[in-house]
Amino acid sequence: MDMYSQAAWLIPLFPLAAFLVLTALGRSFRRAGILTGTAGSLAAFVLSMIIAVDRLGGRAVDYNYAFDWIRIGDYTLRIGFEVTNLTAMMLVVVTLVSLLVNIYSAGYMKDDERITVFYGYVALFTFSMLGLVLSDNLLSLYIFWELVGVCSFLLVGFWYAKPKARAAAKKAFIVTRIGDAGLLLGILLLFWYMPDHALDFTTIQSVFDGQSGAITTGITTLIALLIFLGAVGKSGQFPLHVWLPDAMEGPTPISALIHAATMVAAGVFLIARTYDIFLDSAAAMETVAYVGGFTAIFAATIALAQNDIKRILAYSTVSQLGYMMMALGLGSLTGGIFHLFTHAFFKALLFLGAGSIIHAVHTQNIQEMGGLGSKMKVTAWTFAIGALALTGIPPLSGFWSKDLILTVAFETNPLLFVAGLAAAFCTALYMSRLFFLVFTGKPGAAADGAHESPATMTAPLVVLAALAVLAGFIETPWNGWFGSWLSGEAEAAHGSGVAIVASIAVGLIGIYVGWLIYGKRSVSRTAARERLPWLVKLLEKSYYVDELYAAVVVRPLKTIGSLLMVVDEYIIGGIVRLTGIVTASAGRTAARLQNGQVQTYSLTAVIGFVVIIVAIVGRRFWP
Amino acid sequence: MYEGVSFIPLTWTDMLYLAPELALAAVFLLLVLLDLVMPGRVSRLSIGWLTLLGLLISLGLVLWRMLDMNRAGEAAETIELLANSYRIDDFASLLKIVFLTGTALTVLLALGSVRDDDAITEKGEFFYLLLPAVMGAMMMASSGNLVTLYIGLELLSLTSYVLVGMRRRSALSAEAAFKYVVTGGISSAFVLFGMSYIYGVTGSVDLTVIYSALPGALADFKALVYVGFFMMLAGFGMKIAAAPFHAWAPDVYQGAPTPVSAFLAVIAKGAALAVVFRMMFGAVYFARTDMEPDVSNDIFLALLAMSAAAMLVGTTAALRQKNVKRLLALSGVANSGYMLVPIGISITAVHSSSFSEFVYYLIAYLLMTIGAFAVLTAVSRAAGHDELKGFAGMYYRAPWTAAAMVIFVLSLAGLPVTGGFFGKLFILLGAANAKAYWLVAVIVVSSVISYYFYFGLVRQMFMRVGGTEQSIPVSPATGIVIWLCAIATVALGLFPGPLMSWIDAVFSLGQDLMFVVY
Repeated sequence: MDMYSQAAWLIPLFPLAAFLVLTALGRSFRRAGILTGTAGSLAAFVLSMIIAVDRLGGRAVDYNYAFDWIRIGDYTLRIGFEVTNLTAMMLVVVTLVSLLVNIYSAGYMKDDERITVFYGYVALFTFSMLGLVLSDNLLSLYIFWELVGVCSFLLVGFWYAKPKARAAAKKAFIVTRIGDAGLLLGILLLFWYMPDHALDFTTIQSVFDGQSGAITTGITTLIALLIFLGAVGKSGQFPLHVWLPDAMEGPTPISALIHAATMVAAGVFLIARTYDIFLDSAAAMETVAYVGGFTAIFAATIALAQNDIKRILAYSTVSQLGYMMMALGLGSLTGGIFHLFTHAFFKALLFLGAGSIIHAVHTQNIQEMGGLGSKMKVTAWTFAIGALALTGIPPLSGFWSKDLILTVAFETNPLLFVAGLAAAFCTALYMSRLFFLVFTGKPGAAADGAHESPATMTAPLVVLAALAVLAGFIETPWNGWFGSWLSGEAEAAHGSGVAIVASIAVGLIGIYVGWLIYGKRSVSRTAARERLPWLVKLLEKSYYVDELYAAVVVRPLKTIGSLLMVVDEYIIGGIVRLTGIVTASAGRTAARLQNGQVQTYSLTAVIGFVVIIVAIVGRRFWP
Repeated sequence: MYEGVSFIPLTWTDMLYLAPELALAAVFLLLVLLDLVMPGRVSRLSIGWLTLLGLLISLGLVLWRMLDMNRAGEAAETIELLANSYRIDDFASLLKIVFLTGTALTVLLALGSVRDDDAITEKGEFFYLLLPAVMGAMMMASSGNLVTLYIGLELLSLTSYVLVGMRRRSALSAEAAFKYVVTGGISSAFVLFGMSYIYGVTGSVDLTVIYSALPGALADFKALVYVGFFMMLAGFGMKIAAAPFHAWAPDVYQGAPTPVSAFLAVIAKGAALAVVFRMMFGAVYFARTDMEPDVSNDIFLALLAMSAAAMLVGTTAALRQKNVKRLLALSGVANSGYMLVPIGISITAVHSSSFSEFVYYLIAYLLMTIGAFAVLTAVSRAAGHDELKGFAGMYYRAPWTAAAMVIFVLSLAGLPVTGGFFGKLFILLGAANAKAYWLVAVIVVSSVISYYFYFGLVRQMFMRVGGTEQSIPVSPATGIVIWLCAIATVALGLFPGPLMSWIDAVFSLGQDLMFVVY
């Protein structure tokens, strides 16, 4: 049997222990804090790796362990953990990125006063994320889902002295809560309709897979859409994507860990975990596909006009998550998860690279950078690999996964195929813009005195760059190994010549156009601004979504809020104060009894006895 | 008339069944002698450790007997000694485990705090007197007969009176002991008076015989049955410290040495609750006849009235309380109310888990109360008083102990993830199942009120600055008690299932409470 999988429950405990130790240590143990955090994630990574490698070979069966947690009446709530190939893969991704981020932060956060707190939060996040991955039922998944949200809140607002960071943390929390409310409703509905109120994935799978008719199509669609709403919030899909770019106010290693590789992918993971529900509802699948496809192109265009290096990458993440959703919606579980897998590495690489740049130049505005390539060789080369992987240039990992998605789209839905291609073109354009503006050309205003980052920061870059190159070979158009491994059924490899050629072509054209404008500078950079000023403005302002929300949602809510305040203050508050007064006077009476006189005490007892007997028995004898 | 007039001698087998109690008695006698012959300058803490050892031996014997009785999934056969005056069943064994564990924790707590208490002159006595006290509690849990019950009650009470007055150099302690003796005497009078009525109308002190004789007695002496049971309830109500019979508790807890307060709050209260449980379900509940269901219902209603009064009076009186020992005493009053709920609501087809609800809450209550008292010993030694402001700034002075205290406060307030949460939840669900919605409302309201003073403690610890920055020293023994209680409280809050199902598996209503009619 799977000896190693049985020990999977240990994995989250390492970072949890690290978190507890870090909290206990306090702020003065900076070095010990870094070591503890790193050791926690290292141990988790090693065990995850062992489990994953163990499952690579033969036909590994899903391992599930659960026990009765609470019994109330006839209902038994079971919780436990489950190791499938999907979760094994997620374990490796989460622990590896967490480990690298831990190492990287030793350099990046070196001068921060609260570095121990930072490592504590990272360890808590890693624990929660691993718990989410290992959960064998929706209820504990939901608990960890909220926990990662809390950690994200804490880490986005880590530099809470900055008002923008505070605002971003709040925004991230509140916007994702909208999605979470949907997810909770979905879980409750599922709880209500499932036979025996079971919420574990195995039962969910068997109920929906068999199309037993236990749950009607209408309800299935409703449940699927509500779960998808949770995923939309967490994975920054349109229209709840607005929190993710703002979340870039957090420390950059956090952006790499939480807002690129792991937590934002949790939405994709959630859908993959409950995929059987979605498969039962064509309407839900279509919704997922179109929301994903739209988000992919929508966010990619916004990224074209941004000047903040991290915001560009954030919109890029939103766009790539859109690809994953699109793949899931089009029925390709393999495509979505495969892209999640490769994206985790190259996007973490890009974020960490961006962190390395920010560390050197102390600005996030790419217009002020330039010519950094010669000063920061490792960063530049690894960043280039990451950018090419993201753009989808063969043979880097991003090519294979994006190509798989485009192939599926090509075969099933021409509209989404075109959208995917357009998004791929935009991706190539904004990444080349970013690269050429930052690394080539004349040194910008902030580039003076920039130098390469320390080894603790460049080493993770190199590791991730290697993975960004190699991770794609597990699934290629002529080898469907990953898909078969994931689903446990032999899956035919399929590739489409048209899709391959088209995706390479748009990638190369995008890079070429970018090079003409920002590298060679033979095309004026202001050409677009002069001809289509409104379009550029629209993109710069991210289609005014934030402004729209402020006008349509936030301001009316605030008005209602202040109205309710009046009600609260005078009516509810009055009742509360009255309750308080009554209770306090009752307390005073009870305290007056307590006068220290034992005679009074005894008298009270006797009077109490008489009252009880008269009240209870008396009503029987004197009707 | 009562059948067992002839004297029934104890056999050797009987002695074996009584081993846990006898072990306590033996250790007690041994320690009395040891205390006498030991030179005065030798520390009496060794007696404390030996007391602890005696308790653990007794605990082991109870466990062994219980496992022996519950072998291989068969329902346990109840062992009846001395013509059913002493019953060894799972009901008694489970409660004995709770009492012995609680007393062991109390002794450990005393080991950490008594040494530095100059007001306690007889430190050896302090420890070994706990042995007959817990023995009394065990007898109460095992009694199947009003006389045994009363002897157990008095054994527990008399030793408690002495223990409360153990701080000889403190006037407060002497006053507390005096008040406890007086109120305890009144309580005994109530109990005895009630018993005499019941004996008078049924002709027996044996609960089994009372059970079968009650229907007949009801026909002729309805009023006397009422008076008898109500008197007993009032008497036990004083021991339990349920309102309106609770007024002595704050004064006595305040004056008593803190470990003794913890003992009174948990073991003395638990033992009295245990006899009420046995009496109500052994004699009253099943004696209801088709013709006279009213009497049984009324007695249960009286119990519930006491319970509701305890919850409300305990919480409201605690609102303005500034002394932590008094606060905990009043919190104990409210908790008596919670524990009376599963005793008072009737067992029906949809609700038969009264006992597991009761024991689960008793265990959670034991852990959180002893834990809170343990923290209090450390804090009050550092502050020199028991006032609330002694907790000020505790988070900065002893962060870990403050964290443990937060666990206890959460548990007392009935919030997750603690044993107190599930304890209260189970009781609440039980009441809801039995359709006693007014009681559910009282539980909820009193819980909400209690947040105010429980979180007053948290506010002191985290948001107030103490007069000093000095860290609060916690002696190793006290630390062990605090953390054992804290960890167990959290464990109960995370995994309530195993304990709950174990109690349900071990305890069977028919075998353990419903007496077989001869």
